[in-house]
Amino acid sequence: MKKNLVLVALLLVPVMGYGELFLEITKGSEDPYKVAMIPFEGNSKVSKQVNNIMRNDLIRTGEFSILDEELLLPVKMIDDELVFSDWKLLGMDYLVTGKIVNENNSLDINYEIYDIHKKRKVRSSKVFGIPNQIRQLAHYTSDGIYESITGIKGIAATRLLYVNEIKDSQLISRYKLMLADSDGANEKILLSSSEPIISPSWSPDGKRVAYVSFETGIAKVFIQEIASGKREAVLSKDTQISSPSWSPDGKYLSLTLYQDGNAEIYILRLRDRTLTRMTNQFAIDTESSWSPRGNKILFTSGRSGSPQIYELDLRKLNPKAKRISFEGTYNAKASYLPNEEGIIFVHRSNDGLFHIALKYKKENFIRVLTEAKMDESPSVAPNGNMVIYGIREENLSMLAGFSLSGAKFKLPASNGEVREPAWSNFLR
Amino acid sequence: MNKSINSFFTLLTLIIFSACSSVQVTEEAVADQSVAGVSITSKSTATQAVLANAVVYFEYDRFNLTSKSIQALKGVSELMKRNSKITISIEGHADERGTREYNLALGQRRAESVANYLVANGINRNRLITKSYGEERPLSLGSNDTAWSKNRRVEIK
Repeated sequence: MKKNLVLVALLLVPVMGYGELFLEITKGSEDPYKVAMIPFEGNSKVSKQVNNIMRNDLIRTGEFSILDEELLLPVKMIDDELVFSDWKLLGMDYLVTGKIVNENNSLDINYEIYDIHKKRKVRSSKVFGIPNQIRQLAHYTSDGIYESITGIKGIAATRLLYVNEIKDSQLISRYKLMLADSDGANEKILLSSSEPIISPSWSPDGKRVAYVSFETGIAKVFIQEIASGKREAVLSKDTQISSPSWSPDGKYLSLTLYQDGNAEIYILRLRDRTLTRMTNQFAIDTESSWSPRGNKILFTSGRSGSPQIYELDLRKLNPKAKRISFEGTYNAKASYLPNEEGIIFVHRSNDGLFHIALKYKKENFIRVLTEAKMDESPSVAPNGNMVIYGIREENLSMLAGFSLSGAKFKLPASNGEVREPAWSNFLR
Repeated sequence: MNKSINSFFTLLTLIIFSACSSVQVTEEAVADQSVAGVSITSKSTATQAVLANAVVYFEYDRFNLTSKSIQALKGVSELMKRNSKITISIEGHADERGTREYNLALGQRRAESVANYLVANGINRNRLITKSYGEERPLSLGSNDTAWSKNRRVEIK
């Protein structure tokens, strides 16, 4: 169904500039689904915006080649049946039509997807909300289209956390923990501080975040409710605490505590704030991250003499850390793919440069997936198909992303630097 | 602004698979998303004038003391012995290469190396506070060997 074709004409198209991030799609998949999208009908400016957002969402996945608007044909129906032959001649795999109804303070999007090869309608959907939810409505719609065609859940309606640093004229920094839609739009400040903020982490339900703030003079982990802004330090201990990661059931945080002078991993039960020590090693142990099923933890340890990735099986009594990275002298900050079939991590190559790498469990080699100099903090989208990470370009930190099917995009900040991205779970 | 967390997500999802055809029919309502921001300005921790100020530097990826560092630390320990009231803050730092959390831990190891040296030379551990800023507070902003070597440091204050 997917056919080879010359790289889609979407190279280096600056797509939009809402808020402070600018989304740039730099490369699409080399074997995309070919989709004709008839601009959804509707009488207002809203329709135009919805059509733009959806189109960009689909292009950003890298899995679609969307037919140019000028090349679209009129949609012909005979006895309520779509005439498929025209679209087949154009080489299309799918046709998407829809309409947007914006009245009585309600905004509805109705859309239909036709499979050109199978000659039938495969989806008929309605998404509804209120007009100020226009971006979310459009994202829900593109996720529906994406899922219907690829069979994979879409991530346009998910959100990102990241850290923004802006230096003033005296080079004094202001740090902000930011929240934005997955396309960088709709940017909101969760926390603004004169001291560094690192390691943001989502609660699995997307309602709270945990992060490290240096506001008291040392690293401390805080939990903050997104809607109310209510926040608290997770432990009142006077020790450095860092690297929070939320368990998939939302009941625990794994953390790095420095109470013995050295970084060790602990699990904190949030209900009663009881701590369980997970590592006890002379070397550094940090960067813990839960498996999607919550029964294992990955972490970085320096116990072999260089940072390497280890795994702890929480189902065992007194679990023993098992080393799982062997290639090279620096492998760190690992997280599982949502299907647990592999891990994504930071790898230092022999040339001393840092890249994002992937290792599948069943393979005995690693796949280096990025090519800049100082790639860091990879975060995997909940559908397992995209990774967002931090890069440095011309001495500025910005965000970049790629899909496992080969698409690439960038999210540079219009002001200052952005880094430490964290992708939310599915929010719908 | 301060909406309760319970009322903030009013999500209604309805998925109907129609029985007789293969067309997937769905209906869903979009969730509400309220956000409240927080702003903090920490009081600048005014460093009291301390006689024992010093900076020692480290090799890439390492936290062991160099012979040059040991010379500088000898001075610090002498001073602390002569002035028994001095307590010092030992702040570890890393260069920007590598992950932020690992660098935070590495900065701490560097601070601990300095503390261990001073303790071995007769200074009471209670007079020493160790902490790390990892790569978050570089002295030099460049991305080159010179900048990196200045940033891999422990500051004694």
